[in-house]
Parts: sequence; structure tokens; C-alpha cells
Amino acid sequence: MGRKKKKQSRPWCWYCNREFEDEKILIQHQKAKHFKCHICHKKLYTGPGLSIHCMQVHKEAIDKVPNSLPNRSNIEIEIYGMEGIPPNDAKEHERQRNGGRPGSPSSGEDEPVRKKAKPEGLLGSAPGAMPTGSNMMPGVMPGMAAHPGMPPMGSFPPPMHHMMGPMGPVGPPFMGPGMMPGMPGMPPGIQQPVSGASIPPTRPLFPSAAAVSTATSTAVSSPLGTDFKPITSVAGGSIGPVKPTFPAYSNADSNTTTNNNIGSDQKVNLIATTSAAIKIIHPPEDLSLEEIRARLPKYQRRQTQETRTVQTADASQQAAVLQQQQQQQQQQQQQQAAAANAAAAFQDQQQRQQAALNALQQQQQQRFQRPPQAVMVPASAAMPVSSVALMAPLMRPTMTLAAPALIHGGNMMRPPPMGLPPGMIGALPPGAMHPAFAAPMGFPGAPMLAPMMHPRFR
Amino acid sequence: MESRTEFKIKSPPTDAISAVEFGPNSTQFLLVSSWDSTVRLYDIHANTMRLKYNHDLPVLDVAFQDAVHAYSGGLGNTLKMYDINSNSESIMGTHDKPIRKIEYCAAVNAILTGGWDAAVKLWDPRTPTCVGSYLQPDVVLALSVCGDKFVVGTAKRKVCIWDLRNMAGMFQRRESSLKYQTRCIKGFPNEQGYVLSSIEGRVAVEYLDTTPEAQKKKYAFKCHRIKENNVEHIYPVNAISFHSTYNTFATGGSDGYVNIWDGFNKKRLCQFHRYNAGVAALSFSHDGSVLAIGVSYLNEAEIPPGGNDEREIYIRYVNDQETKPK
Repeated sequence: MGRKKKKQSRPWCWYCNREFEDEKILIQHQKAKHFKCHICHKKLYTGPGLSIHCMQVHKEAIDKVPNSLPNRSNIEIEIYGMEGIPPNDAKEHERQRNGGRPGSPSSGEDEPVRKKAKPEGLLGSAPGAMPTGSNMMPGVMPGMAAHPGMPPMGSFPPPMHHMMGPMGPVGPPFMGPGMMPGMPGMPPGIQQPVSGASIPPTRPLFPSAAAVSTATSTAVSSPLGTDFKPITSVAGGSIGPVKPTFPAYSNADSNTTTNNNIGSDQKVNLIATTSAAIKIIHPPEDLSLEEIRARLPKYQRRQTQETRTVQTADASQQAAVLQQQQQQQQQQQQQQAAAANAAAAFQDQQQRQQAALNALQQQQQQRFQRPPQAVMVPASAAMPVSSVALMAPLMRPTMTLAAPALIHGGNMMRPPPMGLPPGMIGALPPGAMHPAFAAPMGFPGAPMLAPMMHPRFR
Repeated sequence: MESRTEFKIKSPPTDAISAVEFGPNSTQFLLVSSWDSTVRLYDIHANTMRLKYNHDLPVLDVAFQDAVHAYSGGLGNTLKMYDINSNSESIMGTHDKPIRKIEYCAAVNAILTGGWDAAVKLWDPRTPTCVGSYLQPDVVLALSVCGDKFVVGTAKRKVCIWDLRNMAGMFQRRESSLKYQTRCIKGFPNEQGYVLSSIEGRVAVEYLDTTPEAQKKKYAFKCHRIKENNVEHIYPVNAISFHSTYNTFATGGSDGYVNIWDGFNKKRLCQFHRYNAGVAALSFSHDGSVLAIGVSYLNEAEIPPGGNDEREIYIRYVNDQETKPK
């Protein structure tokens, strides 16, 4: 190959074991990856520098170097490029690269450069790609992963050796879900300490132990966690066993999400609870938004008038729901329901005050919303038409109500969230729960009702 | 008052928008299905609603077969065909549970429906009958045609690929590359693969070819995430639509953003302004010159963002700068 000399002299990053073409790029890398403030994104020059900056400027303590390997996260050590690397580590690195370098000479070579070329913040920045468990190195002491800051030990296997497995050009073992073997740029050694933990090597998913440790590490690093990247590195580091779905993108960033996924894999019916720094905007149940939404009372198949009326007299939420429901109905139906609703409200002022008021509001809104609705159909029918194809049919009035009613209740797939039978709902109005509020409100409410009710009975 | 590049459609549905779909060969007509149980046809050139028909329950998806035939279905379990020319509707058939997705497959001239009854059904528009029902491993959440194959995404992150030329059995069975619930799947126009999004602000680009060389190209990326007060909010990626000629695609998230991506070069081409509610549906016109954006709050958060329960359809004229690979 004739490139041995070059390789031996290549600078590498103590924090993540990655190699670089020259020290300038290494320094750039360190500033961007390891010495960047997660709060203001200022790039510092050394670990201690970052620590002091965060302490003084943001009043936050940083205990680990972002995006570093677990045993290389010591923020106290002053390293700048290749300067300051503990002699033992330098020796060890040399030894490993000389010892374990079979095959695939080019892959290691090109990685850093191509990685650099990839723009951060776009597609390239995100994917959570990491090697699958099958690439783990056997034989590393499990304890290592759990002790960040611990110096590498003699038993440490050569990093390049196993690295070549996943990163080599033909990487069949990690053809699992979501891998991107082709992606270069995995920092060598990211997974070596990690792989030491005792996880069934063939499974890309995670044992519950990992979940626990995730939570812990995330919590611990939560001050850091304000920035996505630092937290990842920390979490990724201390959670050795977590095995990535996307081997190729295995920079530390990806770890965070992966870690947070653990929960969802464990409990199928709930979406992973979120850590302090991450919140998935989705209901907790692992159902689609549509399935959850379809359970809303307003989307249930039309029920009999009585049932509906009782439901109407319920709390404000339901009234709001009903408001939309009613909009969708025919006017006659709406008025009947509203009238019955109003009657119910009168019956029991004290308790149903709130509901009645809601019903009124909804009535008022309907009054405003009806006209446009009524206009719609004629408007569409009388539209000036520019398309020849559609012209004739569109000039006819549309038959908006032609839908035949389907009778079976197939949409009631899942019961409504509340355990109460429909009849009970009306019996527990807000007034019952807050008598103190209901009483004062009831008084002025009663006279108000009459004038506002009026239009309904017209 | 409205800019040329983007405007709101007049007389939008009165409840959340479930799907928007451009006609197959014109930028003029847009079908919109909604939770208000209607399907509406808009003329976006004139910005008017041309017609509207009803289901008895919310409609979850709608598809054009050709310029004058629309298919729709939803919580009512029923698949309806609507003839736009004659203003007549007919019932094709039913699923046992709500119909979630409807696709027209030009390769075999058939309608595909996927439902919460874990079935995908194939319908012949000519007869019109159900010509096949195919059991999926779980509730169907996403469905997309990809040439003569189609890709089904179900609950529990299962992905099934079927070959329409041989429906005797599943063509491929996969697990989603993403660790969270599948939200949307769309086949590449070049039919080589598909894009899959999850509820956890992430999108995977996948290839049908199972050879290692092809599979090497697959990847996933994060998107639709917003950091607020030091907490990263991660939103569902509700909608994907492909630009038919550039093979670039738009994603819409519950964060209210639309992003356009160049999946082959792994670049984001652009991001539009933030809409007032989540982006629930997207559709590029056949020529990729117009993007319809259905904006609705889908109860993904406890309260609508900004307390705003807006539902609108935006029509945006996009340019090459926004959609063409650089």
C-alpha cells in the first residue's frame, strides 16, 4: 500500500478517536464537535475553556466534553489538536493502529474528509445511524463503559479492527433496519467502549436496562441537555449497550434519539416518555392521531336524539365538541338538539348552568356560521366555470345530502375514553364539582338565558 | 391582498383536513377530504369550491382515479366513488373498520384501500367491485403505490411490500427503520423506493431492491423539531408528497412547517414559513408547480399551538429553486 507512514502520522482526536488528514482539520473538528458551547454555540479552544465559558457566561456546569467517548469525556484535560494527549493514550492509539489494521485501507482514509463535506443541519446532520449489535467487540470489560473518564486499559482491543467490520465496503451484518452502510464518517471507536456492555449482540433493540440508564444519564446531564448534541454524547457514552439502528451515522448525535426510543420498544402501547430535554408532540398512546381523534364523541355515529341531548348538557369540552358536530348536521336536527338542550338546562339551573351557557355560546356561533354554510352549495353550483369538462355537471346543484345512512356501528372500534355510560355524563356537570362557583354563576345566568334562548324557539 | 405565490382557499372545510389531492393532469382541481365528513372539489385557478359531497362520518382520505372520478372513505368504513361529471356517487363497498388510505394504482387501473381492519382491498373501478382483500399484520396507517408494487405501513412499525402482479403473497416484509409509529409512506416517482415518516420527527429513505448495494443507500434523517425553552419538541411528520419530475419531496409536520428535500443528495432545498397549525396534508400537482398544503390541528398536543385551531388549505406556487436538486 505504501501508505503506512502516512497513516501512522495522521492526527487523531482524543475525544472520539477519529482520524484526520491534518491537524488543522482536527482542530476544526474539536472546536465544532467537542468545544462548542451548547447554549450559544460559541466555539471554544479547549475542554477547560468550554467549562469556564459555560460557568461564567451561562452559569451552567459542564461535566463532560460533548460528543466524546465515555472514557474520554474528561473536561479537565487540556487538549488542543494533538497537544496535551496523555502519553499513555497516545501510545495505546499507536499500538492499536499498528496492530489491528487488516484490510479496507481506503475506508478509514476518506471518512473524515467526506464527513466534513457534509453540511450540518441538513439531511446529513441527523440520522441516528449506528452499528448494530452484531458488530460488537467481545471481550471488552463491561465496566469500562460505565466509567467515563477512565483511561483506556491494556485489554482494550484495537479499535480499527472491529471498526472495519461495520465500515468496510461490504457490510452485510448490519443490513438490519435502517442502516446506511455507505455513509462514511463514523468516528472510529465510538462504539468500542460502548460495545463492552453486556447486551445480546445480535439484537438491535434494547434491553430495559438500557432504558433505565438512559433516563439516568439524561437526567444527570440535563443541564447539558439544553443543547441536543452534548446530551447525546453524554447519554450515548454512558449507555454502552444501546445499539444503533443506523450504523453509518453513528456520530454521537444519533444516540439521543435512539436512547429515547427505548421505552417505545418496551411498552408497545405507549410512546416513549420523553426526557427533560425532549418532548414528542403526540398523545401518549401509540395509536395514530386519526385513531385517537376518531374516538371523540363528535365523530361517533349519529345517535338518538335523547342520548345526544344528555351528552350535550355536559361539560364545556363536550359542548365545544358538540358545537362542531352540530354544524355538520342538518339545521333541523341542530335546532331540535339545541332546544332540548336548552330545556334540559332550564330544568336544573344550579347544576347545568355551565353547560347551558356553553350551549348558548354555541348557538350564537352557529348563527354566525350558518349563513356561509347555506351559501356554499348554491355558490358552488352557480360558479362561473372555465373548464369545459366540468362545466355541465357543475352547473347543476350538488346533491350534498345524498349519502345513504349506514347503520352498523363499525366505527366504535375503541370505546370513548371516559368510563361513564352516556346517561351518567350529564349527571356530573361542572357545577357538581365546583359548587362554590356554580352558585354565584347560576344567579346572573338565569336571566341571561331567556333572551339568549329566544332565537331558538323562533 | 394575497400574494401570487401563496393563497388560502376560500370556503375551506369546517373541521380538520385529512387529505388534499391534485387531479392527475391539471393544476386546476384539488380534492379535499375532511373530518367534517365532506369531500370538496376546488378550482384553485378561480379559488372557488366547485362541488362538495358528504359521507356520514369523517372522511380520512380521497383519491383521483382520473380527472372525473374521485374515491373517498373514512370512519364510515365505506368506499365511495364520485363521478364529477354526472354529480353522482356510488358505493363501492366497505371495510370492517374505518378506511384510512386510498390510492389509485395506474399500473393495474385499480383502487387500493387500507383500513384499520388490517386489510388492504383492491377495487376494480369498471365493475365496480372488490377484487381482493389482503390481510396485513396490523392496522393500516400508511399506503402508497410505487410502480407495480405498493407499500403498506401498519401499526407496530411493520412495513409490507406487495407486488400487484402477484398478489398471492407478500412481496417483502420489513420492519420500519424508524423506531416510532409510522405516519406516512410515499413511493418515489422513479419507483425505486419509498420515503417513510414517523411521529418522531424523522424520515427514512428506503429502497425496494434488497441487494446490499441498493440497501446501502438507505438512510434516515431528523426533521420537524423545534427547540423551545431548552426543550426539543419533536413533531409527527404527517404528510409527504413527491415532485413527480425531480424526485424531490415535501414533508409536512405538526410543527407547522413544510420542508422540501432532495433525497438523493441528502439536502434540504427549502423551508416555508410556519403555518398556524400543523401541516396535516400535502399534495404536489402533477407537474410539480403547485403545492397544496392542508393545515389543521390534529389533537397532537394537549392544546393547539397558540390556542389556534386553524384549518386552512394553502396553495403555493413553487419554483425550481425550491424543488429542483442543486
